[in-house]
Parts: sequence; structure tokens; C-alpha cells
Amino acid sequence: MNRKITIDPVTRVEGHGRVTIHLDEYGQVKDSFFHIVEFRGFERFIQGHPYWEAPVLVQRLCGICPVSHHLAAAKAIDQIVGIDPKDLSPTATKLRCLMHFGQIFQSHALHFFYLASPDLLFGVDAPAEKRNVVAVAEENRDLAVKGITMRKFGQEIIKAVAGKKIHGILAVPGGVHKTFTEKERDYFLDGKNIENIDTMIEWSLGMVDFMRDYHEKHRRFLDDFAQFPSGHMGMVNETGGLDMYDGKLRAIDSEGDRTLNDISTDLYQEYFSEAVAQWSYMKFPYLKKLGREKGWNRVGPLARMNICDYIPTPLAEKARQDFIAFTGKKVNNSTMYSHWARLIEVLHAAEVIKDLLHDDDLHGDDLVRKGMRRSKGIGIIEAPRGTLTHHYEVDEKGMITRCNLIVSTTHNNDAMNTAVKWVANNVISRKGHVTDSMLNQVEVAIRAYDPCLSCATQAMGKMPLKAELYNYKGELIDELLKG
Amino acid sequence: MNYSKADKKGILVIGIGNSGRSDDGLGWRFADMLAALETENVDIEYRYQLQVEDALLVSEYAVVIFADASQETLEKGFAIRPCMPGSNYYFSSHMQSAETVLYLAKELYQTKPKAYTLAIAGYDWELGTSLSKQAQQNLLLAFDHFANAFLSELQSMKVKG
Repeated sequence: MNRKITIDPVTRVEGHGRVTIHLDEYGQVKDSFFHIVEFRGFERFIQGHPYWEAPVLVQRLCGICPVSHHLAAAKAIDQIVGIDPKDLSPTATKLRCLMHFGQIFQSHALHFFYLASPDLLFGVDAPAEKRNVVAVAEENRDLAVKGITMRKFGQEIIKAVAGKKIHGILAVPGGVHKTFTEKERDYFLDGKNIENIDTMIEWSLGMVDFMRDYHEKHRRFLDDFAQFPSGHMGMVNETGGLDMYDGKLRAIDSEGDRTLNDISTDLYQEYFSEAVAQWSYMKFPYLKKLGREKGWNRVGPLARMNICDYIPTPLAEKARQDFIAFTGKKVNNSTMYSHWARLIEVLHAAEVIKDLLHDDDLHGDDLVRKGMRRSKGIGIIEAPRGTLTHHYEVDEKGMITRCNLIVSTTHNNDAMNTAVKWVANNVISRKGHVTDSMLNQVEVAIRAYDPCLSCATQAMGKMPLKAELYNYKGELIDELLKG
Repeated sequence: MNYSKADKKGILVIGIGNSGRSDDGLGWRFADMLAALETENVDIEYRYQLQVEDALLVSEYAVVIFADASQETLEKGFAIRPCMPGSNYYFSSHMQSAETVLYLAKELYQTKPKAYTLAIAGYDWELGTSLSKQAQQNLLLAFDHFANAFLSELQSMKVKG
């Protein structure tokens, strides 16, 4: 009998998704889909608003990554007031970077400690009641305390530069609205009120070491689980180093050959197109020259490890060298290595934050610059979850007439669907029955991408995730609902 | 106020909700009104939702009040109830119950603040920044009781951290 499995909601992800798995009469997986089922339409309702409102409005897309939307929009709006990234004052650029890396640090810490660590600590077969941060707190107090403290550190950085941990404001068109005082800096250096940045680096190094050991012990599973060839994309600087705030777009195929050769972010429209599917509100971006089927790329920590030539901070670069040596310096197409890559970026973020805190440019008073008005602005940054694009066009009165957002999770849409198919084919197919552990493995595959489904669809409201199993007649015969 | 544990702060009131969702803003409105009193030893925080890291925050206080709008029918329009640690976990990373936050504080920081929930009945949850008439009335009743009776009780207590 054909059957269809649905996982709805997918848990420990940001947003609401649903997975359906269709089986044939022999219990073999016929097809599977990762559906995103909310829609809000930020791109539409921002039209008609003045351009200077964009960096404030768009961060309401999300409570997890508002900083990324704030800064991507700010970079686009800078161009509308005639300021390219190189024209921004050093103080403005470095303050924005401090906010950006504070965001990367806290967002990655949240994902690893709150969302992913139960899968790693307790295994994908663990009973449902253990697969959460409460169980982590009960069984690994040290890890949980470090997780909370690291997330708090990143949030405090954001609060110091933007006034609030969530939905604060730093960027204004052409710069920033405040400088950074020495007292604010000392808060993160002296260790009197919170653990200082040196402790954050030390703990980050410890987590990278933990993850390397974990890979040694569980190598076969981590190598094989949801492993599939794909393109990878991210941003690099002029010499090929990882650049998470401003750089050029680079993409490679699963063998490492360049498919996008360090192009200016302003040219993204010439290279990318977006497809739609009837079964999801999330779009499918792809490289035009490779087409819909072959042109999609993974983005985010794993992709960034794959595409960059180096990481421009010493400890993270050493960790990256270790990471790529572990798999023979080949392009890494194993989904589960995303967690290790993410922790290397936590370390990188901590190193960058330390460098910035010792940079006197943060205390400058050259905050805002102006140029000749333009009608279009494109801002691209590497958000925690991957490449994030904001594109605005305005009329002669400065009102937004067009907005296009390509969110990191959207780039990973094909990758997540492919990962779900891998689990469906390799874990669920022909087993005769469906267990909670099997369905959790579908979630484990999705969760590795740290999807922010609310961002990807600009959705709102309560957003859990669901799984359904359908038979060959299209009848629902099993389901799992979480949330 | 005399707290036996010297390193504990006094009373923390967390207003929970969303002021852009009509009566869901009751928790924040209550926090605003309390903040205006500038009462010694009372700190105010605002949250859309409780999060895991709020365990660290509540662990620093002797008394914690979680003030939130409620969909319940409440006889007086509000209700103050003791809140105990509980390990019920919500699937999301950024939405925890008050009980879970207290449980995490107990597990991770070995502290158990005296805690209460203040539920204020609301009726309208649509987009909007104003309260419904009945919710406004409930807010005033809740605030009057809290500021003139309950807070005094708390202030006079010798809380053992």
C-alpha cells in the first residue's frame, strides 16, 4: 500500500515547516517534500514606505536574526544615499561589524547549545523527552551554562551598539547614529560584570575541540548522514578570505570548480533567478547559467568553509585547516559537518570582536556620510545562516517601489529538501513502519541548516512543524505533530 | 527590605507580551505602570517571550513576578498565583514557560527565587496598540492590588534565597 508521512511541525528550528513523505505499495519512498506554509509578504507591504524606514522595518521579519536584516538593508540604503561600502567612515563600518559579529556569535551559540546539542549529546535515537535544552541542562550543566553565557555575551554586544538585544537600531542611511564609548568597551574586556572576550575565545576553542573529538568518535555517521553533492556559495574578500560583512560572491560546485567567480554583489541579478513550487511559499534561488536543477547552492557555515581560501583570524584559520584536513581537503558535502563549521565561525566571531574592541576607530565621531542620491541599492551580507540579499528601488520622492529579499534559508531550500529525501530513502524507505526516531532524523537533517523559516517566508505567528505519511491512494495514514 | 542572601537582588517584574497586539500588551502596560512608581528594589524587564537565557536573569533575584495577559476568564479580572519550577519544554528555542525558566535556574544556577505569575485577563488579540475597555479595567484592578497590597507583602517578607 502506498503511504504518506508528514512531520508537522519540524521542531527546534526557527519557524513553521512541514514534511510529507509519500510511500508506494511496497513501502519504498516515492517522493518527499519540505513545505513552508506561512506567508506574510514583507516585500510587498514595504512598498510605499520611505527608504530610510527599511532598516528598521525589515528587522521585524524575525526575532532571531533582526541584526542581519537591519545591516543588509542598511548597506542597500547606503547606496540610495550615494554611499558605497568603501565610502562609509571607519567608525561606522567597524561599529556595524561589531554588531554583525555579535549577532553571529549569539545566533550560532543559540543554535548549537539550544537546538543542535541534544541531537549530538543524546543521539538521533534518543527519546523525545530528552531531545531538548532542559535535558542538556540536567545532564551537562557546564555546557548549558556556557551556552547561555555565550549567547548573552553576543546579545550584550548588540545591546551596547544598538540599544536593545532585539530590534535595536544602529545603522542610519550612510552610517551609524552613535559611537562606542570606552566605558562600553571596558564592559566586555574587564570581566567585572560579565565573562570577558578572552573567556569567550577560550570557550569557543573548547567547543571546536569538543566537536573535532565528536567527529573522530562518530565519523561514519557524520560523513554519511544526508551527504549529497551540491554547489556552495558565500562571500570572500579581495584575496579569497572569508568576509562576512562585505565582499564578493563566490560559488563552487561539489568538486570545487568555480561556478561564480568572485562577482560584485551589485550584479547578483545577472547571475541568479528564483523558482517557485506549488507546495511551498519558500522560493528556490539558482544560478541562471546552470539552470534550475543544477544551479542551486548551499549557504551558511559549511558552504563558507568550502568556498573561502582562508579565514582572516588566526585561531579560526587553524581550526579551518584542521576541518578541511579531516576530510582530505575535498569539498565537504556532508550535512552534519555544518555543526563543526558553525563552531569555527563562533571562534572567528569572537576573535573579530576582540580585535574590534581594541580598535580606537570604534570611538570616532565621523558617523554619517552623504553622497548623490541613487534609485537603487543592493546590500548583501553573510548572515549566520548564509548569504542574505536585500534589494530596494525608490522613486524620486524616496519611496520604496520595489523590494526583493533573498534570505539565507531560501538558498538552502533545495539542500533541505534533498536532505529530507536522503533520510526518507535511507532511513524510512522499506522499513515497514515509521518510528519517532526515524522522523526525528528528518528533523536532524533540516536542523543542521539552522533554517529560519519565518525569515524565509516573512511569516508570523505560532510556527510549529508537522510530518505526514500518505499511502498510494493519497490517504493520510500516519502523522506526527509537534508544537 | 531585608534579603538574607546578600548577593541577591530584590524583586524582578517581567512584563511579557506584545504591545502591537492589543490586549497582549497587558504585561508591558503593567510593567510601564510599575516602572513609573520607581520603587526601590524593584527591577523591570520586558519580553515578547521568555527565553532559555532568562534562567540566568531570574537566578539573580529573590522574587520574580511574570506579568502576562491571559485568555482565561478570571473572576477579579486578574490572578496572582505562585509559580514553581517545572520541566515542560516547548519546541521553540525562543519561547519557554515561566515554570521552565525557573526549572533551568534551579538546575543551572542552583537558585529558586520565590516566583509568581500575574495573569491579567485580555479579550482582543488583533493588531493594534490600544487595550480593550475591559482589559484596561482589569489592568487598573491588577495594578491597584499589586501596588497597594501584594508589593507591600513582598517588601516586608524576609526572603530566604
